[in-house]
Amino acid sequence: VTPDATRRGAIGQILLLAAGLVVLTVISAGSVYLVNRAREDARWVVRTVESENQISFTQLQLRRAESAQRGFVLTLQPNFQTDFEEAASQLAPALTRLSELTSDNPAQKRVLDQMIPLSHQRIEEFRKTIELARTQRLNDAAQIVREDVGRAAMNHIYDLAGEMRAEEDRLFVLRTTNADRSQTLAASMTGIGSGFVVVLAGISIFLVRRWSRARDEAEALLRDNNLNLEATIDERTADLREANDEIQRFAYIVSHDLRSPLVNIMGFTSELEELRGDIFKRIAALARAETSAPLVPDNATDSAEPVLEGTDKQLSEDFTEALGFIKSSIAKMDRLITAILNLTREGRREFQPVRIETRELIEGIVATVAHQAAEAEAQIRIEPLPNIVSDRLALEQIFSNLIDNALKYLKRGVPGDILIRGRTKLGFAIFDITDNGRGIDPKDHQRIFDLFRRAGTQDKPGQGIGLAHVRALVRRLGGTMSVASELHTGSTFTITLPINWSFSNRNKAS
Amino acid sequence: MSKPVTIIMIEDDEGHARLIERNIRRSGVNNEIMPFTNGTDAVNYLFGSDGTGLNHKGEALLILLDLNLPDMTGIDILRRVKENKYLKSTPVVVLTTTDDSQEIKRCYELGCNVYITKPVNYESFANAIRQLGLFFSVIQVPPAT
Repeated sequence: VTPDATRRGAIGQILLLAAGLVVLTVISAGSVYLVNRAREDARWVVRTVESENQISFTQLQLRRAESAQRGFVLTLQPNFQTDFEEAASQLAPALTRLSELTSDNPAQKRVLDQMIPLSHQRIEEFRKTIELARTQRLNDAAQIVREDVGRAAMNHIYDLAGEMRAEEDRLFVLRTTNADRSQTLAASMTGIGSGFVVVLAGISIFLVRRWSRARDEAEALLRDNNLNLEATIDERTADLREANDEIQRFAYIVSHDLRSPLVNIMGFTSELEELRGDIFKRIAALARAETSAPLVPDNATDSAEPVLEGTDKQLSEDFTEALGFIKSSIAKMDRLITAILNLTREGRREFQPVRIETRELIEGIVATVAHQAAEAEAQIRIEPLPNIVSDRLALEQIFSNLIDNALKYLKRGVPGDILIRGRTKLGFAIFDITDNGRGIDPKDHQRIFDLFRRAGTQDKPGQGIGLAHVRALVRRLGGTMSVASELHTGSTFTITLPINWSFSNRNKAS
Repeated sequence: MSKPVTIIMIEDDEGHARLIERNIRRSGVNNEIMPFTNGTDAVNYLFGSDGTGLNHKGEALLILLDLNLPDMTGIDILRRVKENKYLKSTPVVVLTTTDDSQEIKRCYELGCNVYITKPVNYESFANAIRQLGLFFSVIQVPPAT
């Protein structure tokens, strides 16, 4: 799984989510809109139905009024008059309601405008007939009914009502269709939208599954790689340890065997020195014998230097000089071999992890160098230090080497100030040994840790072993060390050691 | 002591052997010195053909032993000498270049009488050898004639 693919996948997911959100929003808005429209349509349908009802009701009231009028004219019973009045009183509101209901439709309004006066006219006519009948003028009343004027008006009203009903029927069909369409639209909109969402969710699930499968595969691969890596590391570590042991043995044997011929060289050089005395004594004697009688007897000058002259004296001096160089070189070589031997011996020593009061240990070291510190006018300050579990001897050697160095390479004429600090970080203890001494040129920072290499002015005795030894010890203790320094500003040596060192984590670390 | 002490010098380096011999002589010890340059010859001489050491019964010997021999380690010779009932009272002086404290300890545990590290410094080497001579005189080695 490459980072590029990961980014593409993330973008895809976001796009999917956004699309889903948009679809959902559209569906919601559309649904709300369509439902409102459907409701509106339904209201119109209801209005149409109500209009039709009202038309029928109006007609019914007219008919009722007519039949009541006829009944009264025939029988003169007051019941019919009451019926009539009731029908007449209901007609007016019915017509008003109808005009309200059809106010939106100008065609209906026009028809209604014709119908209303006709209806009122008819009612007035009925009322007149009833009045005539009630005042015993039955003939006049019958006459009016017989004239059939009312019948024509009634038929006209009937036609008008039919017209209105037809119009309302047309509207009803239209509006029902509209309402149906709205509802169908709303339903299909919801359906399609839901389908979309389901499809998007499906794609999303598919992608997520594909991703998790890819991730599982990658994880499995990673696990395998880790296992392989660990195996490889173990193998390499074993190889390295073997190689290291071999080098240790090699160094030990070589340095040991180098000493053997050195013993001979030194021994026979001393023999030569003795011979030199004898030889030049004889040369002196011979020279004297040639020139004159000896000033002193031969056997009395055993220990004294023979008196030599001219070329003989020159020869003797050359001889002495040669021997001197040989001897000093041998002494130097002996020191180096001893150093290598000690280093390899140190490398073979088994470490014993013990709990160490670091401050106490360093105070002990400082006490042993108190004399040098006083000579160099240096103060050594110790800040609180973390305690660690490590090898005591190794730790002593590390710190005493570094403190020795700090004291040794102070600036002339400047009171020394050596500071030892400590802190902990992630299971490691970090110690800083800071001085205000002469400092180390950055180009020499690596060199100073090499065996037999030194840096700066060579005005102090030393073999160039201390720091190499310290670094070897720190490494064996599972730590690291570094230096930060500039010329003339002092140096800080930093040692990082595991707080809890043991053989097992040494093996793991190495 | 009727017989003079014979010094058995087991040293593979001829230069060392010569230096040791000279310094022994210089310190006034004139005993016979039998040099061996390898372990096998020395062992054959010390323990004889039957390997029992019977042939040296009652002889006064002193062994100068180098630990680094080409064919065996001096430690083995030391152990065999100190385990042999005829030779175990023979003084053994270990002379070697190793100043490893572990090895020194081991030699003393095995019964070595003196352990001398061959110093490169000629003066101290000569001193050590002379002290060896002193040691000979302490055990009253009559000088050979």
